[in-house]
Amino acid sequence: MMRDDQPRRLPMVFSALLALALAVIPLPGPVDAFRPDFLVLVVFYWSIESPRAGGLTLAFIAGLALDLVRGMVLGQHALALTLTAAWATHLRLRLRVFSLVSQSLTILALLTGYQFLLFWIDGATGNPVTNWSRWLAPVVGALIWPLMNGLLGRAP
Amino acid sequence: MVAFRNTDASGRTSGLLLRCVLYSLLALGLIIFDKRYDHLGQIRRFLSVAAYPVQLAVASPFEGWDWFRESVTSRQSMRAEQAKLQAELRLANFRLQRYEAVEAESQRLRALRDNTADVAARFVIGDIMDLDLDAFRERVLVDKGARDGVFVGQAVLDSGGVFGQVARVEQVTSEVILLSDAAHAIPVQINRNGLRTIAVGTGDMTRLKLPYLPTSADVVAGDLLVTSGLGGGFPAGYPVGTVAEVRRDPAQSLADVDVRPAAALDRSRELMFVWLKPSAATTADGSTHAADDSPAANAPAAAKPAAKAAPPQSAHPGGNPR
Repeated sequence: MMRDDQPRRLPMVFSALLALALAVIPLPGPVDAFRPDFLVLVVFYWSIESPRAGGLTLAFIAGLALDLVRGMVLGQHALALTLTAAWATHLRLRLRVFSLVSQSLTILALLTGYQFLLFWIDGATGNPVTNWSRWLAPVVGALIWPLMNGLLGRAP
Repeated sequence: MVAFRNTDASGRTSGLLLRCVLYSLLALGLIIFDKRYDHLGQIRRFLSVAAYPVQLAVASPFEGWDWFRESVTSRQSMRAEQAKLQAELRLANFRLQRYEAVEAESQRLRALRDNTADVAARFVIGDIMDLDLDAFRERVLVDKGARDGVFVGQAVLDSGGVFGQVARVEQVTSEVILLSDAAHAIPVQINRNGLRTIAVGTGDMTRLKLPYLPTSADVVAGDLLVTSGLGGGFPAGYPVGTVAEVRRDPAQSLADVDVRPAAALDRSRELMFVWLKPSAATTADGSTHAADDSPAANAPAAAKPAAKAAPPQSAHPGGNPR
């Protein structure tokens, strides 16, 4: 795994843009509910890998971008992503030595926390979504975490 | 607190807590300002121009594929489609023959009753962009925005009937909330007998419901629902859907009515934005209101005062009631 020594800004920005595109790419209806939060996973990855290259700034900007493309209230995804990315950064030293399974479980907790913050802000601003299927995304996200970890780890 | 101040391998503190608090406060400020005041409307519109390239980049391959498929269709299928369209046009023209006369007559009669319904004055066609906004909300992004004069609460139709209304306007795009969104409601009228009620979305694109009709209401499967034009947001007389099923439980006071939307909510690609004739649109309030605004709205008559009395913004359930 890469350490913080040389910040890798370019792959960071590139992967974030790609994940943003994946977040809005059209999927057939039934599959749509299973779409993991790609951008959130990418932000977590960089928060854990090289937080000094701007993990939290990336989280905030990525959150704002998510707000713009799909959000109900500006700042909603930004707040949720900033808080959970900070949590991920805080856990990063432990996460790096975890096995893939424990990593995935931790990511599940982080993604659920993220989804819960969104859920809470939705409710607080008066646009509640009480659909149970919104809790599927964290599970799918945790399942594809090892795959993403491998893909991004090989980035130049 | 202390735990947050992890030191990196280089020995520098990352100041994680500080930045986390800073960004969180910034985001919280954005939420509050966006929610409480409309201060961010302009900023948001401006920022979303930056998001537009990404949206365009994602949507264009799909549009390109559609274009490609269209351009390689065989001559035979083109001919078949042309023949079909011509037949449809003949039929439509045939139906239109008496339309002008009937419309004039209707206006005259309405004028007698001092009840001029809102009439559509101008249309602009917009294309749905191939993007998924939110899996849990029924919304689409359309390539017409503030630049084209689109406004929040504007009625949107497709070739089959009413499609929805504009929930948010950006500079070059706008977000349309579908009839079937669970937060959407529209005042309707049964074409057969003029019974007024409110059609509410279910979150399922193929189904609306009429939750405020008493079991004794005169409604049967197959009834056509049209917009009543009450509330001023939607032009009157456009098809909303047909009644698919009526379930009457004697133990309940309200009937359970399912409606199949007239618009192809899941298939349309082109939408029409409607401007009402200014003289008719005397009340600028939105035509819909959230279902919970009228708990006792089983009386169809309640729809009118409720819709009229609702303040402009709360009348619009587009999810962003600033």
